[in-house]
Order: sequence, then structure tokens, then C-alpha cells
Amino acid sequence: MQTTEHHVYSITELNRAARSRLESEFGDVWVKGEISELKRAASGHIYFTLKDEECELSAVRFRSRTSVLSAVAVEAGMTALAFGRLTVYEPRGRYQFVASLIQPVGAGALQMAFERLKAKLQQEGLFDADRKRPLPRFPARIGLVTSPIGAAIRDIVSVLERRWPLAEVLLFPSAVQGDRALDELPDAVERAVRFSESVRPLDLLIVGRGGGSAEDLAAFNGERLARTIADCPIPVVAAVGHEIDFSICDFVADHRAATPTAAAEVASPDRIEIAAGLAASVAAMDRRLRALHEALSTELRVRGSTLVDRSPARSIETLAQRLDHQLSSLPRAAARILRDRASTAAHLEEVLRLSDPRLPLERGYSLTYVEGSDRPLRDASSVAAGQRLETHVARGRVRSVVEEVDSE
Amino acid sequence: MKVEESLKKLEEITGKLERADLPLEEAIALFDEGLTLAASIKGALDEARLRVDRVIEKARGAFDLEPLDLD
Repeated sequence: MQTTEHHVYSITELNRAARSRLESEFGDVWVKGEISELKRAASGHIYFTLKDEECELSAVRFRSRTSVLSAVAVEAGMTALAFGRLTVYEPRGRYQFVASLIQPVGAGALQMAFERLKAKLQQEGLFDADRKRPLPRFPARIGLVTSPIGAAIRDIVSVLERRWPLAEVLLFPSAVQGDRALDELPDAVERAVRFSESVRPLDLLIVGRGGGSAEDLAAFNGERLARTIADCPIPVVAAVGHEIDFSICDFVADHRAATPTAAAEVASPDRIEIAAGLAASVAAMDRRLRALHEALSTELRVRGSTLVDRSPARSIETLAQRLDHQLSSLPRAAARILRDRASTAAHLEEVLRLSDPRLPLERGYSLTYVEGSDRPLRDASSVAAGQRLETHVARGRVRSVVEEVDSE
Repeated sequence: MKVEESLKKLEEITGKLERADLPLEEAIALFDEGLTLAASIKGALDEARLRVDRVIEKARGAFDLEPLDLD
């Protein structure tokens, strides 16, 4: 009975009590240490040890606790800042740290600053969809804010050379990484705006750089750059790093391109497509002219056959045939004209002028009508002496009376 | 004329050509104008060479252009 003064815990009881104490004593804590013995379970949970020079702490990050911020890849050997609670895993009596957030030290600090600034600017409305301006379809002058020696400018220039060499590219050089870039980037954007306002207007501004580490791209998360872009009167395309990289600059720009190459593509029309459009226009004009020609030929034949006697009529047929021939070669001609400006249309105009039904009158033929008839006179036997005639010549009309008829 | 304007003009011409009551003379004139425009646009597209200049601001608002050689 002597021992009854001391409470005897069962293991379960003790572990539970320890856990309760530990959790209420510490609550949520930040802890910093080096990650080691990292194991990723099939469940998605990550088991690891946090340690410093002298001590170790078992830790786990459950999959369900994964948040956007803790999505940073966790690797053994990295020094990390972890947020979570201290607890006891009761079945094993193991004291452990349950992390809800793990951030590599350094990158983590950057990430937090990024999220804070992003939230602030978003709240101010700087990322609003209705602020986004459309990009011009045919930019004549494209400003670039990037490094004169990086991959970005080469990529952009090579795309523009291929797609839209009619543009003029104006480079406003800037450092694109390190502390210097934090001010140089917005300075260069402001310089581009001054240039646009005082020298020649820029239609578009591409701000960016090629891929790099998170630290390399950090200058594009600067608040001053974000505000300068927001105030920029020229539409801005942001092109920072690779597809997976998002910067503050991307959110505030009028358009976000995944890479500098993509930025140049979105900023320019493709001359191959334009040329295809031209060919389609020429083909449409050609079809339309053919339709008009068909209507004209019919009219020509009708009028030609009633106009003059046999041989001039044949000559009109010859003209009509020449016209047909001329027009049948039009599609090929149209393609040729696109290369050199041989004027098929001028030829065509000439041919059409020659086939004008009034031309035979000019050569001395005439049209005769029996008074009151609207059909030209073709057969002498259809008139009789005493009938009145009206003859159309090139200039004017002659009225006469039939004296005698000689029908064949 | 800038390519953009020429393309717009060409679009107008092809539009006018579609009109039903178009006199032949006008159609030919439009066709001629359209072909000439198309040829000049194509020429501009083919012959263009991209210009790349580096902009240097000597003093605030005073700019110099310097051709940029990427090779």
C-alpha cells in the first residue's frame, strides 16, 4: 500500500500526458536546422531529421499539410526554417516535430517577401484584368528592357527577324540580376517612356530575361519595377525566366509570356501568315473578275453577233477568245505578279478595251435599225421600199428612206 | 504607306470588288490597284531587315542610337 501515494501511469496515459503538456507548452513554433535523413513515404508524407551542431529532432511533414508556400522542394542537406508544433507520437513514445511549412533559408525569406508584395499590389488593383491593354497587331517599334548580352535579347531578335523584320527594335539596356537590377530595370523602363514621348513612339515594351535561379530572377519581383510597369503608358509584355517562373512583373504587365521567345511571338505578326492572306485576297479578286468577265463575254457574243457582218463578228470572237485565254492564265499570273509587278491587269484592261463593241463603228462599220425596231437590221429582205431607217455610226445617227431592196 | 495601312486598303478593295452592281471599268481599276498593293506589301515583307539599336540617354531626354551587333 505504500506505493499508492505515487500514481502509476500506464504507458498510454503517460505518453498522452506528455503529448498534451508538450503541445500546450510550446504551441506553434518556428525552428531552424539542417535537414537530414529525409524519407519520402509513398503516402506523400515526408519524414526527416532537423539538426544543428549538437542535437537532432525527428520531424514529419504530412501530405495534407502541404500548402503553396511549403511546396518548395525539400532536400537533405539544406538549411530550413520549419513551422509547426512539437508533439509526441504516442504509439512509439517518440517526441517529434510536425511541420506544416518548410522553407529553405534564404529562398524562404525571398518567397515570403514575394507573397507579401504580391498580396499588397493585388489589393491595390494593379493586377486587375481591366487594366490589361491589348497589344498592337503590327508594332512598328518595339522597346526591349533587358541585358544587351543575355540569351533573352538573342532569342527575341531571332524571332522578330523571322516573323516581323519590319519592326525597329530599341534596346534599353539594364542589369537583369543582383541588387543593381532592382533600380536599373525600372530606370530603363522610365527611359523607354521618355524616349517614346520625346523621340519616336514605342508601340510595345518587352521587359525580361532568360532563365536562372530564384535569386537571379528576384530583381523582377521588385516593388519599384512593378509600379513603374503599372504606370507605363506603353503596353508591356513581361518575359521572365522559363514557363514555371512567375514574377511580380508578370502579374502587373499587360501580358505575361512564358519565355523571351514567347514574348517576341506574342508581340509580332507572322509575315508568312500575312503573305498567305495576300494570296487569298488576290485569288478572291481574281475569282470576282472572272465572274464579271463571264457576264461580259455573254453580252459580247450577243451584241457582237448583232452588231456587224461576218468578218468583224469573227474578229470580235477572236477578241473574246483572247480575253478567255488571258483570264485563264490569271491565277498563275497573279502568283507571278506577287513576285514581280508584271501588270496582267493592264493587259487585261487593254484586251477589254479592244473588245468594246463600239470599236467596229470607229473603224467605219455601222448599225442600222428599221424605224421602231430595237434589233439591228441583218437581212435586206426584212425591209421594203419606203420604210424609214436609222443608222448608228461612230458619231451620230443618220435617218434615211429605203428606195430599193436587193435581197440575196 | 505602312504595311498596316496597305493591308487595310487591300481589304477595302476586295470588299468593294464584291459589290454586286460594280461596273466593269471600276472592277478592273480596283483589281489593278489591289494587285499593285499586294505586290508592294509582299515586297515590303520580303525585303525588310530588322533594325536593332541600343538607346543611350546622354542627358535626360537626349538620346543616341547605336546599332547593336549581336554577333
